[in-house]
Amino acid sequence: MSNLNTKFLVVDDFSTMRRIVRNLLKELGYNNVEEAEDGVVAVKKLQGGDFDFVVTDWNMPNMDGLQLLQFIRSDTDLKHVPVLMVTAEAKKENIIAAAQAGANGYIVKPFTSVTLGEKLSKIFERLEKVEA
Amino acid sequence: MNSSSLQNHMVESAPLNINDEMLNRIGQVTRALHENLRGLGLDKVIEQIAKDMPDACERLHYVARMTEQSAQRVLNATDLAMPIQASIASESALLKQNWQRVKLEPSLKAEYNETVEETLTFLTLTEKQSLESKALLMDIMMAQDFQDLTGQVIKKIIALTQDLENQLVQVLVDFSPAINKKESSFNQTLINGPQVSIHATDSFANQQQVDDLLDDLGF
Repeated sequence: MSNLNTKFLVVDDFSTMRRIVRNLLKELGYNNVEEAEDGVVAVKKLQGGDFDFVVTDWNMPNMDGLQLLQFIRSDTDLKHVPVLMVTAEAKKENIIAAAQAGANGYIVKPFTSVTLGEKLSKIFERLEKVEA
Repeated sequence: MNSSSLQNHMVESAPLNINDEMLNRIGQVTRALHENLRGLGLDKVIEQIAKDMPDACERLHYVARMTEQSAQRVLNATDLAMPIQASIASESALLKQNWQRVKLEPSLKAEYNETVEETLTFLTLTEKQSLESKALLMDIMMAQDFQDLTGQVIKKIIALTQDLENQLVQVLVDFSPAINKKESSFNQTLINGPQVSIHATDSFANQQQVDDLLDDLGF
């Protein structure tokens, strides 16, 4: 799973943050990255292409990150796709809600490139264990 | 005049509790509003409010727009500069390898050997420094995350200001000095934006605390 061809979808309503996450992924060796500006666009892209991984913000117009996560987990074709939340929402209730909805990881903004790298490898490790 | 100095005196001599003080202040604001309305006429006040609030929102939009533009410019520059640094580093490494190979061939010329040494030293330094400046460019890129965070805060303030504007206009339209205290607008929601206060107790300040909670939850 943790190969460098992993296809990422980065979902955030701020283009600055999408670019930062895209560059960080590139630095980690992942070049197959697409972007979406909210949950609705993300759903369309997810249904159109075979994405392996979703990195999403929470607070977005039209469809927020939690709704996106819930949609992914309820969809037969998408439910296996790992979802990492990268958000400024830092309340305990948020983290519990995300965990209960089936998030694979939770990063609070502002974050560092080291944090992103660690969380990704942790998620890939767990997925490999499950598959093995 | 007399009544306000009397109130100040009361506050000093016998501290009121917070609720009393709040009611007191609302009373004063209501009175000032009422007097203003009488003095200026309803039309003018509504006109002023309608003018000021959108202006405040416009200024916040401006801040959001300018910080975004600035962040984008930095990201454009770092996007261009990072590959250049990476390329200098890898080219230096390659050239260094070549010279190291050449150095193994015996040569009689002392100047030649000296130049080879100097070139190798330079290439080693270039490779190291290019990687260092590339790391700095990554730092500069990461620093642009302020735009997302401040942007979210500004959006929230704009929404609050617009809400306040609507409520104030409604007060003026109703022309009633008795303000019905609306239910608190500090709703408990899951969308609160970045944690702006370092003293907040209900939010996590760092990734470690988030990780600990997730561990507790078995994730």
